[in-house]
This record gives sequence, structure tokens and C-alpha cells, in this order.
Amino acid sequence: MADRRATNRAMFWRIIRRLFGANPGRLFVMLLALGAGAAVTAALLNLQVDAKRRLTTEFRSLGANIMITPRGSDRALESATIPESLLDRLPTQEGNVPVSRAAFLYAVAHITAYSDEGTNAARLGSGPAVITGYRYVSEDFGRIIPYRVLEGSNIVILDTDTCEMGQRVAALYHLHAAGALELKVGRTEDSCVVSEVRSFGGTEDNQIFVSMEQAQRLAGIPHQVSMIQLSVPGTPVQIKHYIETLQREFLNVEVRPIRQFTEGEAKIYNRISGLLTATVAIVLLLTGLCVMAAMTNVAMERKIDVGLMKAIGGSMRRVLRLFLAEAALLGLAGGIMGAAVGIFLSIGLGKAVFGVAARPRLIVYPVAVALTVIVAILSAFPLRRLASIRPASVFRGEA
Amino acid sequence: MFLRIVADSFGRRPRHKLLTGAALALGMGVVTAALSVSLDVGDRLAKEFRSLGANLVVTPQADSLPLEIGGVDYRPVNAGAYLPEADLPKLKTIFWHNNIIAFAPILEVRAEALPFSREGGRFGNWTGGVPIVGTWADHAVPLPDGGEFQTGVARTNPWWQIDGGWFSDGAMECVVGVAFAKKNHINVGDSISLAIGDVTKTPAPLKVMGILNSGGPEDESIVIPLSRAQSLASRPGQYRKLYISALTKPEDAFAKRDPKTFTPAEYDRWFCTPYISSIAFQIQQELPGTDVRVIRRVAEGEGQILTRVRMLLWLVTGAALLAAALAVGASSAASVIERRSEIGLMKALGAGSGTVGFLLAAEQLLLAFVGGGVGYAIGIVLARLVGGRIFGAAPEPSLIVFLVVIALAAGVTILGSAIPLHRASQYEPAPILRGE
Repeated sequence: MADRRATNRAMFWRIIRRLFGANPGRLFVMLLALGAGAAVTAALLNLQVDAKRRLTTEFRSLGANIMITPRGSDRALESATIPESLLDRLPTQEGNVPVSRAAFLYAVAHITAYSDEGTNAARLGSGPAVITGYRYVSEDFGRIIPYRVLEGSNIVILDTDTCEMGQRVAALYHLHAAGALELKVGRTEDSCVVSEVRSFGGTEDNQIFVSMEQAQRLAGIPHQVSMIQLSVPGTPVQIKHYIETLQREFLNVEVRPIRQFTEGEAKIYNRISGLLTATVAIVLLLTGLCVMAAMTNVAMERKIDVGLMKAIGGSMRRVLRLFLAEAALLGLAGGIMGAAVGIFLSIGLGKAVFGVAARPRLIVYPVAVALTVIVAILSAFPLRRLASIRPASVFRGEA
Repeated sequence: MFLRIVADSFGRRPRHKLLTGAALALGMGVVTAALSVSLDVGDRLAKEFRSLGANLVVTPQADSLPLEIGGVDYRPVNAGAYLPEADLPKLKTIFWHNNIIAFAPILEVRAEALPFSREGGRFGNWTGGVPIVGTWADHAVPLPDGGEFQTGVARTNPWWQIDGGWFSDGAMECVVGVAFAKKNHINVGDSISLAIGDVTKTPAPLKVMGILNSGGPEDESIVIPLSRAQSLASRPGQYRKLYISALTKPEDAFAKRDPKTFTPAEYDRWFCTPYISSIAFQIQQELPGTDVRVIRRVAEGEGQILTRVRMLLWLVTGAALLAAALAVGASSAASVIERRSEIGLMKALGAGSGTVGFLLAAEQLLLAFVGGGVGYAIGIVLARLVGGRIFGAAPEPSLIVFLVVIALAAGVTILGSAIPLHRASQYEPAPILRGE
């Protein structure tokens, strides 16, 4: 009994081997179809996971989305302050992505503009203007308030502070890069050299950006700031959670989302991720069906094989099992090769879109291979229809 | 005879043809759906980005420097310049007028406020220095061509949440910021009197229609119809700031150049592309004496994200296209391989390799057209489904996609069958017919 079973098994594998070897052209076609399906499945699944995560980081090009202000005083920002040390006590990371943050201190100063730093510089005018002291913890201040540099100079003058001008205040005083400013708040006086003229498109265009130390010195309130802005990456839910954590942790300040951006971002994020999911789902579904149709086409021509096997006494179950095993093996081979190609493809795609290679997710690989095997097995099922075939009519050339 | 063989081939083996056709149709369905969505998505997403609010701000050129901290202007009340409201319909006459989807003029004043309860009882006293924002909520702007354009702050600032309702234009109604309302215990249905300077007599109160939550400095203020703010500030027909929300094309390297350095041809190209800078330029030409600035925060972020998402979708489309092409090619290759004996017979009867190849190619092409057509229909339905679910608007079926799909179907089937066809034409008929 055991002996017969062993012989049966040997025969089974021998037939399978021969099925593969018999027609290399057909084998190639099947592997191509299955491999292409597996490659796209793996690439899209990998990209889908990665792209959503990356999108939330991309949204930070919109600037800050959370604001921390002194409690109970939204309006009189120049009077109420919060300690500057808070800036360094905030959580520095959210989901492994650093949180960009900046502190601001506002004051109204009387400014006098000069064409340059020298002793015989022309006096361009004077008047009141808002000066903003700022300090940021980020690779780029544009992550907090996006802007564009209109003019810049790299002149460094020792012992002199530099300041950045908003577009409108610069235009009003005809100030250009390398111009000089005298700042006066109350009785305190200071000066700075213009290093950049920036275009913001908001109230920042009317402000003069100076270093935090200088602003604190001028305003006479050391180690205090008016406001802190944070640019926190993550999905809308993560951002909400982050805000709640801050509210619990720091009781004497007010933490609130900048609704213009959090709401807009949430809406756009949901749209884009929905779009991506839907597109990927449809492409995967149709690709699967398409591969299945191609495979079924190949399977249907095995009529004569089935007829022969039935003629020499093979039961339909055994014949079917044979073909299913063949399909599963093909699916496995095609899947393993195709999915590998697909993962490399997604790394390249991620690099092309986001500039950073997509991190391959290992879970994607077995999922893509499994899906391919399932598609391959399903596509062998139409052979079941051949059960009703009478071997004799096949050999007579009918059917 | 040629046509008869083709017709026969379809009639005799409908199941085989059906399967190859199905593979084709599904593959082309993928291509159609992905292409339609990618082609359509740019405009739709650009519209979605308008939920971030206005991307252009217009201020008077001659204005003095605003001393604005935390949304409060510390300038003396009479300082600064104003712009005429009567010029606003001109916004819809610029070259890209269809891209301007909303605008709202703003006139801010500081006034004394006196709240009344619903029953008319006065509670509290005059509060000084309350920021008053005069604007349009939902206003019909008569256009020079005779039509009307509905716009207002509800459209430029879609994140503004109103608990209750907006005021009607010109009515004695207002909307109160949530922080101000909380501080002064104001509810919907109460009313507020506003006055500047002289508070000896109480002016007719404005009814509170809703509580505004903006998350910004407006939470501390009272929003009233523009015409009310104008009469309050004695500035009839004038405004100070204009927010414009425009659909734009993300700026590329070309658009970032200074327009002054353009050659005439480049200038025309720039002028006729909806870049934010060219729209700003056109608005400035229409509204003399203004300063039109791009709100960088909104515009730059939008451009960057939009470019990325578009690229992502194109790549997904590309991948889908490739897979569909490979699967369809495999399917048509299979359908040729299985016809070896038929080819042998034809050759034995004296058909040349060219004739056989031509016959099979014609069959495949016919299949490609039918399969491609059906696939296009499937794809359009799916694209409509996706578009409808996500954007609430289905992409329009486009002729270009149809042509691309049919051409691709034909190309892929011919390419897929080319190698087996070539091999088939080399067959010697005798061994095939003998069954070897």
C-alpha cells in the first residue's frame, strides 16, 4: 500500500516536471503573465503604504499647524508672554520625524533705515514697525512660515546683528539687502544689517525679523516669547493626539491647531489617500482578472492532456489535482520573481516621486506571492469543465 | 475567403476568443481607468487645495505700514489707504477669470460694542476697541457681461466654522467670534450695538446670527456685512484688504523667473498659463493702485504637494499600463501557440508564411479593437466610480484616452503575437500534421 503511494507520488511529480518541460514557449508566457501581475501587486502595495506616510511629511511644506500662546490672551500678544525654555521642552519627534518649531516675540519699534552700514550712508526714512524676534529649531525656517527670498546678501559684519525684512516694510523704506537699520523700543536702541528681503504674503511682510536675543534685549523681557509655532507631521488623527498631549502636559499655555491648515490638510489628505487606495485597488483587481483570463486561455488548450489521462484511467480528481499543482507551482515561481522585481520597482518609483527611496516592507513580499498563487490556482479551475469530456471524442478530434 | 476564415475562426472557437478578449478588455480597462483618473485628477485636486483658503492678497499700494500683532492693527484709526469696492467686478474680466473661484474684500475697524440679550435687556457695558471685520458672507457681484458671481468669505475661508448661520448682505445682522462671545456671554439671537467714538446715543443693534470659530484672530472679533462696516467707519464703498482664491498651475522653473527678463514669446506663454504670478500680474493691471501679493504659505505648499501627487498617480498609471500590456501580450501569445496544427494545415494547402501571418494578425487586431472597446467601457465606469466617490464628480470620458487605449490594445496584441507568429511561419507543415 505504502509502496503504491510512493510510486504514485513519484509519478505525480514526474508528470509535473514533464508538463513544465514540454513546452518552454507556453511556460514562458505563463510566467510572464503571472510575474507581471506579481510585480505590479508588490510595487503598488509597497508604494501605497509608503506614499501615505510620506504625504503627511510633504504637507509640512505648508508650514506650522500648531500654535502655542499665553493662556487667556489671544489679542494682547505684546503684553502676555511665555517662557522661551518651553521651546526646548516640547517633544522633538513625532513618529520618527522631527518636529520643526519656532518661537516669536513681537514688539513695536521705531526704526530708522540707512542705505548701508558705512558712516556716510544715506538716511532713507524712519517710522514705527513691528519687529519680530525669532528662534527656530528646524533645518529651515520655511518649514514654519514658508517664504521666498527676494534679495539676499552674504555680507557678514562682525559685532553687528543681521535682520531679515518683510517685502512690504523693505519696499516702504526702499531698503535692500546690506542696508542698515536702527531700532528703538522705548529707550533701548540697537542696530542691524539687512541680510535678506523675504516675501511671505501675510502680515509677516510688514515685519522685521531679528534674532531672539536682540528682540528680548530691546523689549526688556529676557527669556520670554509671545508665541510658539510647531510644524507637526502626521495624519490628522496623530496631530490631534499630539495637541491633546501638549494640552495635558503644559497647563499654563494655550495649545491650539491653526485650523486653516489642519482642516485643509485633513481634507486633502483624506482625498489623496482615498484616491490612491481606490486606484491601487482597481488596478490590482483588474490586473488579477486579466492575468487570470490569460492563464485560463493557456489552461484550456490542455484538453488533449486531460483526455489522455482519463483514457488511461486517471480519475478527474487526480487529473485536476495535477493541474492545480502545476498552476500553484507556476504561481509561486512567477510570484517570487515578479514580486522581487516589483519591490525594486517601488524603490525606484518612491525615489522618483519623493526624492527618498521607499522603504521596502517585508510583509508586502509574501502577500504579493500569495495573491499570485491564488490567482494562478483560480485560473486553472476552468479545467473542471473538462470533467464532462469524453476521452474518445477528444481523440476523434471533435469537441 | 480571407474574411470567411477570420469569421469562421471566431465562430468555431468562441470560448478561446472570449478568454483572449476578456484578458484584453480587462487589461485595457485598467489602462482606461488609471489614465482617466490621472488626467482628471490635477484639476480636481487643485480645487481641493482651495480648502486651504485664499492664495492671493490685495492691499493698497499707498498704504502705510500696518502695525499688526496677533491680528490686531496698532495703527491710528485714520491711517492708511483704501480701495474702491466698485472695481471688484473687474476681477472677473481678466484673462484667467474662470480660475478665480472666490474673493472677499475686508474692511477692519475698531469700535465700541454694547451687547443686548434676546429680550432686548442690556447686559454689560460698552466694550472698547473691539476688532470689527466687515466683509461679504455670500454676496452676488454683478459682472460687466450681465451675469452674477456668488462669492464671499464663506468661500475664501472654508475652514471658518459657523455655529448658527451667516448674516445676509446689508442686513442688520452679524456673526461673533467664539472667544469674544464667550467673554461677553453672547449667544445666537442676542444683538449688539456698534459705535465709533461717540457712545452717548445707542445706534440700532445688529442681530447675532451665528458664532464664528476660525482658529485665528477673528475669534476675538465681530464680523459684520461690508456695507455696515463702511458706514461705521465712514468709508462708503471702500475696503482695505482683498483675499482671492484662484486655481493655479504649480510653478515650475520657468514661472519662477522674473517676468521682466522674458522674450515676447516667453512672456505670452507665461501670461497665458495660470501660474499664480501671472494671475497676480493680471489682477494688478485691472485694479490700479494695488499691491497683489502671493500668500506663499498656501501657494508654495500647494504647488509642491500637487506636483508630487500628480507624479505618483502617473507612476501608478505607468505600472498598471505595463502589467496590463504584459498580461495581454501573454494571452495573445498563448492564443497563437495553440494554433500550430491549423497553421500547419494552411501551409500544407499552399499558403505562404506571409499570408498565414497576415491572417492571424488580422484576427488578433479584430480582437484587439473589440477587446479595447469593451475595456474602455469598463474603465470609464470604474473611473466614474472612483471619481464620484472621492471627488463627488466623475471624470469626463475623453477621446484621447479612447484612442490611446485602442492603439495600445492593437500594439500589445501584435507585439505579443509577433514572436509566436514568427515562429509559426517557420514551421514545417509535415511534422505538425503528423502530430510531432
